[in-house]
Amino acid sequence: MDNITIKKNGLHELFLQLGNKWIFFFLLLEVIIFSIISPGFFSLNGIQTILNNSPSILLLGLAETFVIITGGIDLSVGFVMGFSSVVSAKLIVTFVGLGMNDALSIIIGIVITICIGIIPGFLNGILIGRYKVPALIATFSMLGITHGISELLIEGSAAKNLPALAGKIGNGSLINMVPGKTVSFFISPTIQRGEHLIEILPNMFVIAFIFVIFFAFILKSTKFGQHTYAIGGNIDAAIRAGIDVKNHIIKIYMLSSLFATIAGIIYMLRFVTGKADSGVMFLLDSIVAVVIGGASFYGGFGSVWKTVIGCFIILVLENGLRMLGFPTFYKLVLVGVILIFAVLVDQFSPELLHKED
Amino acid sequence: MKKSLLWITILVLSISMLAVFSLAGCKTTTTATTAAAETTAAAAAKVFTILFMPGVADPFYFTMEKGIQKKVDELGGSVKLLVAEYPKSWGPEAQVPILEAATAKGGIDLILIAPTSTDALVAPLKKLYDQGIAIITVDTYLGDGDYSKDSDYSFPLSYIGTDNKLGGQKVAENLAKMLNSKGKVYLMNTNPDTSSVVDRGKGFSEGIAKFPDMTLVGTDYCMDVQQKAQELATAALQKNPDIAGIFGVNLFSSQGSYQAVVNAGLTGAVKIASWDATQDLINALKEGKVDMILAQKPAEIGFLGVEWGYKYLKDKAEVPKKVIPGFEFFTKENVDDPNMAQFIYSK
Repeated sequence: MDNITIKKNGLHELFLQLGNKWIFFFLLLEVIIFSIISPGFFSLNGIQTILNNSPSILLLGLAETFVIITGGIDLSVGFVMGFSSVVSAKLIVTFVGLGMNDALSIIIGIVITICIGIIPGFLNGILIGRYKVPALIATFSMLGITHGISELLIEGSAAKNLPALAGKIGNGSLINMVPGKTVSFFISPTIQRGEHLIEILPNMFVIAFIFVIFFAFILKSTKFGQHTYAIGGNIDAAIRAGIDVKNHIIKIYMLSSLFATIAGIIYMLRFVTGKADSGVMFLLDSIVAVVIGGASFYGGFGSVWKTVIGCFIILVLENGLRMLGFPTFYKLVLVGVILIFAVLVDQFSPELLHKED
Repeated sequence: MKKSLLWITILVLSISMLAVFSLAGCKTTTTATTAAAETTAAAAAKVFTILFMPGVADPFYFTMEKGIQKKVDELGGSVKLLVAEYPKSWGPEAQVPILEAATAKGGIDLILIAPTSTDALVAPLKKLYDQGIAIITVDTYLGDGDYSKDSDYSFPLSYIGTDNKLGGQKVAENLAKMLNSKGKVYLMNTNPDTSSVVDRGKGFSEGIAKFPDMTLVGTDYCMDVQQKAQELATAALQKNPDIAGIFGVNLFSSQGSYQAVVNAGLTGAVKIASWDATQDLINALKEGKVDMILAQKPAEIGFLGVEWGYKYLKDKAEVPKKVIPGFEFFTKENVDDPNMAQFIYSK
């Protein structure tokens, strides 16, 4: 990278210096500002609240990172999430109805849901990879199909009557303790009313984050990841280099659906409900997070960790403003401003200049 | 560079966790002291903090807030009111994050909440209950709304809201009166996941069943979308052109139904009953688009919520598990009556 020569002027220089680092400092700045002006923001409860809200946007952001790096987009993730929340809830209720015990029903229900949940991605991948359907059209169709099917499954309602255990897992934390009394893992202990229960790291965040860590590694350090960047960077070169582009794209969209499916299962566990439109409000935020994280819609650039920072920039902003009593509209405006700033920085980033050459 | 970024993130997270621990430590001691204070006679001097968590941004809850504010003002300095952000859409994924953000600071004694799901809100509210916060559900409830028998969801002090089933029955009776107790009727509901409208529907069909010459020919769910209500009602009118009455459970369902009636050229031949005296619906009634409106009393619900909550917090008074304010009916005859104006919801 060092040998790239760039014309320098003042503004240019500033953006170059900001380069990839600004999102991290921006997040840090957000945290510092809110910690000062919003009492209770920088507390265990405050952090738990942010983490509680994070799984959907993290997982959908992860999905979009992979897809956007290949130069595509996946609009179906929000409704694939809703679809899987509905399918998993329906399956688990059915299994419990058949007399299976709660834990087993939940596990089997989730496993089957994952298998079903990657089908939309498989179809997207075939359409986009093999038949060259534009990603926007293919995934938009899948959005409609998954939405329709989930509404049909629940007949316009919400899937309910899940076993209480599901809610306990979904609302529990990795470590739960009453100081000096009890410590438990994964599931909150039954406590005396008024006892101060300290909860650290919500289960659902931990699960989402394991996916993030694992797939950050896959993207950064494996051949699979390199191929992903190569396809997004220059698809013709990737084909000439002998990469099986068609199959790789199918895998990418299957991964995208997988992450959305996990997000749906997490929704089902946390809210003990399966709802067709549960992912709607997260689709746009997740794409924004990826773009704030520096990924380019032309493909070839992006990183999981920067997407994660992008996600937390949105989450921290949202929660901080909320705790101060500002309506969500302020968040929408500010996220818009940040997005424009992110794109401007990208315009001047050395990698992109290099690409234009 | 990327690696260093990761390490810095981990560092910051761990520092924050440490800081949090120390903060949490402080917090325990403060809660302990307040708990101790509560048990002593000093409780009388305490200022109680009440949080109002509405279901969605709409006139019903705006009116409820006015009622809450009225009682809070009456109680003077002994109660402090916090109002959480009005969620923009109806559902736990919108409401729970707001609820958690509003309660993260702590220091709340009572929550008045309209749960947006009978199941999903149980766990988050139980957590707050376990922290020692009293909970009253207003307008909608948890589980089946019966907190008198022991269950996972029986921890709220009370459910304060309209008896939707009774309301549905009364709508059926009044509609029957308008139709001389005969003919086909149709029900336009919104969302089968919401306890209040489901009960309205149930009450309505039970009420209609009491009239031997009347039949309920269908129920549809428009998911709060007027366009969808119009399409569904149009289809229903094609199937049964002799429908004489429609009950739309709220503004969108009744206005969509009315539009379908107009398009089918049946204006006036089909009576339309609706629910909730919003300014829009009152205008629709004046214009003849709607023939009858059941007005709930959201302000009274909010008022009673604060009243009972305060009694409980201050004197540990026994709160009834269900508090049911009544309702009023608007028709073309009484819509301009100045005495009825108080039941129209505020904006």
